[in-house]
Amino acid sequence: MNTAETQVKAVNKPAAKTKTKRKWKRWAIHLFPIPALIIYGLFIVYPILAAFTYSLFDWNGLVRGAFVGLENFKALFSLQPYKDLFWNAFQHNILYFVVQMIVQNGLAFVLAFIIYKKIKGAEFFKIAFFMPRLLSIIVVGFLWKLILNPNFGALNVILGKFGLENLQKAWLGDPDTALMAIILVNSWFGLGFAVLIFLAGIQSIPHELIEAATLDGAKGWKMMSKIIIPLMMPAITIITVLTFIQSFEAFELVYAMQGSQGEPYHSTDTLAIYFYRLAFGGTSGGGSSAIGLGSALAVVLFLFISVFTAILLYFMRKKEVEM
Amino acid sequence: MAKITKAWMIGLLAFILILTGCSSDTDGSVEGETENNEENGDTVTLEVGSWRTEDTAKYEKLFEAFNEKHPDIQLEFKPSKNTEYNTILNTALQSGEGPDIMQLRPYAAGAELADAGYLEPIEDLEGLDTFPDSSLMAAQGSDGTQYGVPLNMSTTQMFYNKKIFDELGLEEPQTYEEFIELNETFKSEGYTPLAMGTKEGWLMSLMHGIVGPAHYGANEFVEQIENGETDFVSDEYVASIEAMEQLKDYFPDNSEGLGMEDIRTLFFTEQAAMFPLGSWEIEVLKEMNPDLELDFFPMPSAVGKEPTITTWVDGSYAINANSEHKEEAKKFLEWMTTEEFGQMFTEEFSMVSAVPGVESDNQLVSDLAQAADEISTPYLILVHFAKGNPSSKAELETELQGMYLGEQTPEGVAEAVQKSAEGYYEPFQN
Repeated sequence: MNTAETQVKAVNKPAAKTKTKRKWKRWAIHLFPIPALIIYGLFIVYPILAAFTYSLFDWNGLVRGAFVGLENFKALFSLQPYKDLFWNAFQHNILYFVVQMIVQNGLAFVLAFIIYKKIKGAEFFKIAFFMPRLLSIIVVGFLWKLILNPNFGALNVILGKFGLENLQKAWLGDPDTALMAIILVNSWFGLGFAVLIFLAGIQSIPHELIEAATLDGAKGWKMMSKIIIPLMMPAITIITVLTFIQSFEAFELVYAMQGSQGEPYHSTDTLAIYFYRLAFGGTSGGGSSAIGLGSALAVVLFLFISVFTAILLYFMRKKEVEM
Repeated sequence: MAKITKAWMIGLLAFILILTGCSSDTDGSVEGETENNEENGDTVTLEVGSWRTEDTAKYEKLFEAFNEKHPDIQLEFKPSKNTEYNTILNTALQSGEGPDIMQLRPYAAGAELADAGYLEPIEDLEGLDTFPDSSLMAAQGSDGTQYGVPLNMSTTQMFYNKKIFDELGLEEPQTYEEFIELNETFKSEGYTPLAMGTKEGWLMSLMHGIVGPAHYGANEFVEQIENGETDFVSDEYVASIEAMEQLKDYFPDNSEGLGMEDIRTLFFTEQAAMFPLGSWEIEVLKEMNPDLELDFFPMPSAVGKEPTITTWVDGSYAINANSEHKEEAKKFLEWMTTEEFGQMFTEEFSMVSAVPGVESDNQLVSDLAQAADEISTPYLILVHFAKGNPSSKAELETELQGMYLGEQTPEGVAEAVQKSAEGYYEPFQN
């Protein structure tokens, strides 16, 4: 693309310019990405290559030992407790994705459609839904920790006011509800962003198209499934892919609300939290770092997310229609 | 065309997002960078790293006192957040940076840094012999070489609210049965007997550190563990886990959802009578409720031994092997072994100094220091078993949590700890 542009410009230039000057210009343009590439290489490419190499060595605490090939990967999937902890965390990530897709994105789609229909106060709702996104996720975590506090938190107090004492719970202390509570908080946080993307998707559908469809007798579900959804596929693809990546990297909110141990009793463990514990030995004081295993997990996570994202993109692309 | 760019954008985004997860091992080094090597004339400035951000003003006072003795050495306190300290320090040290003098986590975590060669050995440091071996042990490499000077002792014990005890006409318990009776009395009088919650794992091992020795037989058992004569699946140890389960009856409502802040609040608002926690809470409690009448009692034994309080060295200071001013740093560490330092530390920090025999004008701290000298038992799971990944300490915490949630049995807890310890603890490997 760059060369194409320069060629176009070069043609428009007065003929007085010499050929060498033009050549130099054409060549010089390739220098501009260098600062960005250096930063990219140093902070992104180098760490991942480092993680790849780390994962192939035996680590004694912080000291690198012998080259062990794929032993760390083998340990991760065959030795206890690593094996169980991995699959346990993996399942939680899947649940994270599924619930976010249904609750966050499903709700966002409906809300975007309602706002599109120009109900009264549409602008207000758009902003209101986006508000949580403006807060730091750490702040969100702490706020919801207070709301969900079993003894003085707002949720239990409200339940009590309505005479629903039997529904009161230690939401974040009970392994049955802790993870779900976190995912729902995350959905609340991400809702506004999804609404905006969906809204942009609907608004980009040309009015004539919808009018034409209406004239042809499409309405209700038919309108939705045959016209609106297919034309919104690009937006749906983006949201799905982003949600997928975010779900499999879930860390900050879990860390802010439950710490790095996946408490209680591994019920809120995610792969990223587990990685943090493996690589840095956790935060509870003590515990050796297992850098080799941690790096192996990071590599697995990286490969899984990139491959799966590619597959997801491939299939969702097929469903997109050209306008 | 537009489509291809979008695919690339998403791919790039995926790449960036995941890499933020993997790259944490390099970006910490920026924070650890030292810029303190400017020498003005003959003055040397040493950077001191620590996890005690809240103690900055107190440390500055200590450093001033040191500066009066050594006008050519300036000290600069540069703490980082408690929970991030290990990560920041490790990454800084890995890249050859880091503070000149650093606060060392005790036992296994400190030994890890020593074994990696990041610390300067101080075997011949003047004044080290002030400390008993049990304290020195906290700052040694796994080969027994000394790397750090112990700073303070932490103790855990049962704190109690004297006002509530007096109101109900109760005394400190002399036997474990009396302790249980106390709990029953508080419960029937409408007080929460024990301010404790099970949401945060570290509170579990901490409480077991207080209650456990009363059941496994304190120091005798510790000695047997050290000699490999007994293990964690022994009846004594299982009994100590069962005792923890029994105490759940005396926890506050919804204890599975309560963390540190919650239980502290219950205690200083005088809704709970007893608070099994550490010496570092004294200052906080005093600040939150100056009228709180705070006292402590040692845990009476259930198996006919002496009552105990649980102690360990909480932190020590060591020298960065890469420091350009090791000699100056050694002068500071030498000063840390003196009674003068111990006295000043105790007064400023209201903590028990690791220098033996230092008295405090704070009665409670003084009593704790005395108890630590006379009836202490080590915090077993931290002193010897904070190793492995997950560490045996973390295993104990998680499994105790599981037990309180009804998903694990006391025997199961003991087995998990034993299994984890067998991975590295030599006395268990024969």
